[in-house]
Order: sequence, then structure tokens, then C-alpha cells
Amino acid sequence: MSLVRDGVSDVKKVARGWRWGRRGQVPRSAEPFVLPSKSTVFRSDWSRRKPAMVAREVAQKAGLEPLFRSQVRTEVQGLDILERLEGPVIFAANHASHLDTPLVLLSLPDEWRRKTAVAAAADYFFDTWWRAVGSSIVFNTFPIDRRGGSMATTPGEVLADGWSLVIFPEGTRSKDGWIGQFRMGAAFLAVEHNVPVVPVAHRGTFAAMPRGQNWPSKGRRQLTVRFGEPLYPAADEGVREFAPRIKDAVAALLDEDRTTWWESKQRAASGATPDPTGPKVAQWRRVWEQSESPVGTEGPQSRLRAWRR
Amino acid sequence: MSRPGFVLEVDDRTPPLVVHEGLGFRLENFPLGTRVVYPPESLPAVPDVDEAIREALLNPVDSEPLPELLFSGMRLTIAFDDLSIPLPTMRKPDIRGRIIEHVLTMAAEAGVDDVKLIAANALHRRMTADELKHIVGERVFRSFYPQGDLYNFDAEDRDELTHLGTTEKGEDIEISKRAAESDLLVYVNVNLVAMDGGHKSVGIGLASYKSLRHHHNAKTMVHSRSFMDHKHSAMHHSAWRMGRIIKDTVKVFQIETTLNNDVFPKPYDFLQKREWEWSVKDQATMLGMRRGLSIAPPKLKHKMFHDLRSVYGLTGINAGEVEAVHERTLEKVHAQHLVEVQGQSDVLVMGVPYLGPYNVNSSMNPILAACMGLGYYFNSYRGQPVVRKGGAVILYHPLDEGFNQLHHPSYVDFYEEVLAESTDPAVVGEKYEQQFANDPWYIHLYRTSHAYHGVHPFYMWYWIAHALDHVDEVIWVGGNRKTAARMGFRAATTLNDALEMASGTVGTSPSITYLHNPPHLLADVR
Repeated sequence: MSLVRDGVSDVKKVARGWRWGRRGQVPRSAEPFVLPSKSTVFRSDWSRRKPAMVAREVAQKAGLEPLFRSQVRTEVQGLDILERLEGPVIFAANHASHLDTPLVLLSLPDEWRRKTAVAAAADYFFDTWWRAVGSSIVFNTFPIDRRGGSMATTPGEVLADGWSLVIFPEGTRSKDGWIGQFRMGAAFLAVEHNVPVVPVAHRGTFAAMPRGQNWPSKGRRQLTVRFGEPLYPAADEGVREFAPRIKDAVAALLDEDRTTWWESKQRAASGATPDPTGPKVAQWRRVWEQSESPVGTEGPQSRLRAWRR
Repeated sequence: MSRPGFVLEVDDRTPPLVVHEGLGFRLENFPLGTRVVYPPESLPAVPDVDEAIREALLNPVDSEPLPELLFSGMRLTIAFDDLSIPLPTMRKPDIRGRIIEHVLTMAAEAGVDDVKLIAANALHRRMTADELKHIVGERVFRSFYPQGDLYNFDAEDRDELTHLGTTEKGEDIEISKRAAESDLLVYVNVNLVAMDGGHKSVGIGLASYKSLRHHHNAKTMVHSRSFMDHKHSAMHHSAWRMGRIIKDTVKVFQIETTLNNDVFPKPYDFLQKREWEWSVKDQATMLGMRRGLSIAPPKLKHKMFHDLRSVYGLTGINAGEVEAVHERTLEKVHAQHLVEVQGQSDVLVMGVPYLGPYNVNSSMNPILAACMGLGYYFNSYRGQPVVRKGGAVILYHPLDEGFNQLHHPSYVDFYEEVLAESTDPAVVGEKYEQQFANDPWYIHLYRTSHAYHGVHPFYMWYWIAHALDHVDEVIWVGGNRKTAARMGFRAATTLNDALEMASGTVGTSPSITYLHNPPHLLADVR
């Protein structure tokens, strides 16, 4: 019996120590000595063909969406702008949690959702074949290299095929829920391929599932997402001028989501839009503020429990 | 590109770490903040070993090329390190054999007829024919062994020893007569760790008890700080004094080799990886191995480990004048083993593995386990010991392997009779060393059987003298209580128990350093 007991104890110890089912961690003091991971080029064009699209439709509608709705409540605003647009577009959103991708995707009307791909970090989502296949099937991700290496598929090719893109210009999830530095990628693609950028701002994903958590917190936290007016690069506008406009648009949307459309417009006009990077206060206060879920416009108790989503 | 060694600080992300304990290992959760010293990864091996050997022999350091030293009618002696290095034993072909083949090829071309090959085993046990064959290779073995020209050194054959005089400190120099009277003595070494090589090769490997007793004693060992750093080791100072006199008598052509840290071959290679980098396969292999070891009978476990042959890569070879060669050798050894450690700690933790220099194809008896932990691993430092003066040492070993009657007969009596009287290295040396060294039965077994010399267990005890002098507490985790007590130590079941026991010496929240070896490391403590 002790053989079985010791065996089980060993397996438990290893499962805990090596975080089975979760991403492995490197002790902090060993981080400077980690070898750069080998860049593996995964092809992902198969995930934008018919069979994969059918599989994705089933996975999203029968699996992801019910699961997502069972864990969080969402409130979507501004989708009307999509009625005035024809794809492809680039959805540029702030990034605070792994919930951002399903939130943006599942907020889109079905016909848009089916033709939208998500740019995902190659070193994180495409480091193993099963993670690559899984995220491609469920989220329609394709790999982009955060370190600027070469990839099998470029975002330009995906756009050229008529797919819209979801890009998180920050390149990584925020550590405290506030917006970080926006990189040039989304602006570059928009200028290069002459497609509009739809700014997307969402709140509440950090409070519901911050970094380090692999499942949303209990209690069906409120998430809000707001789509803004599309931004078109001007004829003589360069990437460096266009990129800040995207960030400003996301900041204004966040302000709008927090207050009202009119107030945010007034503040934007006077250049008083709150800084989306957050106040310069102690780190704990920044986290503290973001760890509170937003209150939806309908209010938490405004519907019968049975009808609340 | 191999990564350097480094000091890990255990945090909440650190998985359990491997700690060796005899014929097995355990996964230990160390307290947060524990420092873990990891050796550098294996250095790249030289691409062409034969070319490297030729290059070293033809372009030696501070010496004429080997072919110029060889002539017809000369007496050539080739001495080589015995099976105590490397650890574990090297997979065939052994580097010594490959070098000896090159030397003999040159000797044959020069028309040398009188050649003898001597294993420099000093007071170690005689190697068996198979063990000799493993080292020198089949070709050399077939050409020399049947004629009696390849043999183990016999430190008790009075007719085959010669006294070369004494050093300025009155130390006798008595070495192999054949070696001393040769026109050329070629020494082929494996410099596994920093203590090997230099004048220690001939001056100790081919010396008798009369010579060895001058540096193999408690007083010298306490002042060897450490014996892994020859410039600060009283033992090496003595060997160097002797070596310089030997050099004046006989022309020595020293060939030293350095190896990388590829200690564990597949499928055991996970044991030399950093734990957080273990793949799923590594984790599965480890789990399987732990289960296998838990049900395997002791003999099978012993076979499993002792049949392991390492796939070392050669990192360097230098030949020529002893001291010049050794300086170059040490540079390579340090590049492979040295890890910078900032400051000492209150507690030093070490896992004693299944193998040490004196139990190759044999058993790790408690005295050898103590020597491995408190001797070799404790002394794996440069500068100052990893643990502070008056600190505690925690070792892992079951201390239950017992004694090999063939190889270690005098160890049994040392354990039963001498350690029962005293565990103080100076006291036991003073009182009993002569009796064991001159015991005719032990000498007979040393000369005719495969026994370590009667005095050898004393040397093991002297080896730990510096550690015993330096620390206040030694605790064996998982060790047999009675055995630990016989040696003057205490045993604990778990690390937490051991830390609890040590709290009287080092307090309840001591700083802890764990030396993560094997593979070998040398802590450069600043």
C-alpha cells in the first residue's frame, strides 16, 4: 500500500511543483539565465479554411459562449458603427486579461465574428502544437512575433484575405489593469493596407481575471466593452502620427464608458481626457482601483435574477 | 553555448529540487530564501580528440615535444590515474587509453623497447584486469598485461620503492623505483576536480605510506583550505615540495586532461538539468525512476547506478612541464566548475550521491559517505567555506550500505573499534594509525587481494577534519541513527527536523545554502 501511497504523493508533488495544466514558471532569480526559446514557425492558414471555420463555429457557439456567459456578465455598446463599415477592419483594444479575446469576439455580430482573426503572441500561444491548434480553433488566433522574428503568416496576408483583425497594441496583458505603452503594429498595418481601425475599450476584465489567474473570479463579474468610431489614416499621415490617435481614441472610449458620451466629448475637446495609463500613485492603489468591477448601465439589481446575463 | 553556474534563491515559483541520497534521490521543498548553487552547464567538447592529443604531445608547454624525448634503448614508464577518477566511470574509450595509445605509437616509432605501464593507485585497492582494461583500452591491455608490463603500483613492495631524499621540511619522498629510475616518466591524468593533478600525480599516486603520512594527516588537512585550491592547501604545499625534488631526479612529462560536466547519460540526464526546465518526459522519467527504486532490491539498485557510464566530453588537454601544465588545466577546470557565491551561510545542505572516489564498483560505507559529504563536497570551495564557522551541515544519505569486505576490510575495524573510542581525527590518528598502517594482514590483503590499504580509513577521517573543525553540527537527513551516532553525528527524518535540531546552533531562521551537485561545482565564496 505504501508503494501506491508514495507514488500518489510523488505525482501530487510533481503536479504541484511543475504546475501541471498550467504554464510553467521560472524562479525569479533564474530568469536571467533562461535560454531564449526556439522560434517555431507554425502554419495557421488551415485555421482560416472552411473545415476549421465550421469547427470554430461549433466550438464558439456551443462551448465558448455558454461557458463565457456563465462566468461573466457583459454589456456591449457601439456596435452600430459596424453597420456603416465593410470589412476588413482592425479592432484595436486595450489588454488586461485573457478574457479580452473572448469578450471582443463574442461581442461582435456573428457575420463579423466569423471573419475576424486574433493576433496572438507566438512565444505564448504557439509554443506547443496543442496550444497552437487549440487557440487557433477556438479563437482563430494566428501567431505574431513580439520580438520581431519571421513568421509563416504575416498579419498583412490575413488582412489581404478579407479577414478583420483583433490586435492588442500593448503587446502584453497589463500588470495593473491600466493601459501600457501602445506599439506601432496596428497603426502600421492600417497605414500599409489602408484599412480603418476600430478602437475598442473594455473594462472589468482585469477585475474578473487578472494575470496569474486562470479562471474568472466567482460571482459573474461585470464586463463592459465599447466600440468607437473607425479611424482612417489620413493620406499623408505616417505611422508615428496615427498610432497616438488610436491610443487617444481608446482613452476617450474608456472615459465614455466610465461617464457619458457627452461628458467624454467635452473633456476630449478640452484635452482633459483622463490619462488611461492611470494615476502616478503607489502600485497597490493602481491595482486596487482596477480590481473593482464596473457597474453596468442596467445596474446589478435592475433585472430579475433569471434574466440577468 | 553553455550557461554559467549561478545561485538560485528559492521562491514561490521554485519546484521541488533534486537531492541525491546514496542509491536514490529525493525531491525536496527548501525553505523560501534558500540559496541553491548550480554548477555551470557542460562546456563544449573539443571537436577532434585525436587531433587535440597529437597537438598537445607535439607542442607541449615548457618541454621538448614528446618524440624528441623518446629514443631507442631508453626506459620509458607511463603512469596513469586509477579508477577513482573520473566519477562516474567514463564510457569507453577512456581518455587515458586514447592518450596512452598515442604515446606508445610515438615510442614504437622511436624504437623504445623497455616500456612499463603503472596504475598510480598509491594506497588504493588494486584494480582488476577488467578495470585496467577499461582504462587503457583493449589494444594496450593485450600488448602489456599478459607480460606483466601493465600493473598496479604496489606501495608495500620494498624492493620496488626508492627513497629520493627529504624536503626542506623533513618530508620523506619514497616513490616507485621503476618510475624514479626511468629515463622518462609520462604521467597521464584526468583532472576531474581542482584538487587532482600537478605534483599530486606522481608525488602521491606513486608514493608509499612513508611519504604519504607527511601530508595525509589531521593537522595538514585542517590547514588545507581548501584542498580544492592547491595554493591554499597544506596537503598540496607538501606534495609540491616533494614534486620539485622528484622533478630533479626524473624527467616527468605530464599530460593533463579536463572533462566537461556531462555526468549523467540518457535517460538520467534530467538529473543535470535545472528542475524548472524539466520537460514532461523528464518528469515522467523521474517519477518512474523513483517508483522503480522504491521497489528494487538493494543489489539491483546498486547495479543500476554503478553500471552508469558517463559520456564526458574532453574540454582540454595539456602536456609538458608539471606546474606549467597544471596552471592551464586549472583554468579549464575552473571554467567548468566555478560558481561565484556571495558570503557564507549558517547552514550548508549537501546530498551525498551513490558514488565517491573509493567505492567505484563497491559500496558507499558510512565512512566513505562522511568523506564524500564532509570531505569532498564541503571542501568544494575557494576563498572561504560556504558555511560560516560554527554553523551546521545537513547531509542526505541513508548510511545503510554496509561495508564491502573485499575492498574495505580495515574500514570495518576502524568503524567498530576506532570510532567507538573517539571520532576526533587527531586523536584517532595519534593513537591507532600506525597499528592499522603496519598490520601485516591488511598489507597482505592490499598487496594480493583488492583491498584498500589498512591506513586508508584514517585518511578518509582526516579528509573531514577541516569540516569537523569548522562546523558545530552535522545532521544526516534520512540517515541510520545508530550509524550516525557512531560517527559522532545526529540523524533526522526530514529537512525540517534537521533544521529544528540545528536551531540550537544556528537559530530558528538560519540562512541556508544547498550545493546542487553532482555535476561537480566549486563555490567561489567571496
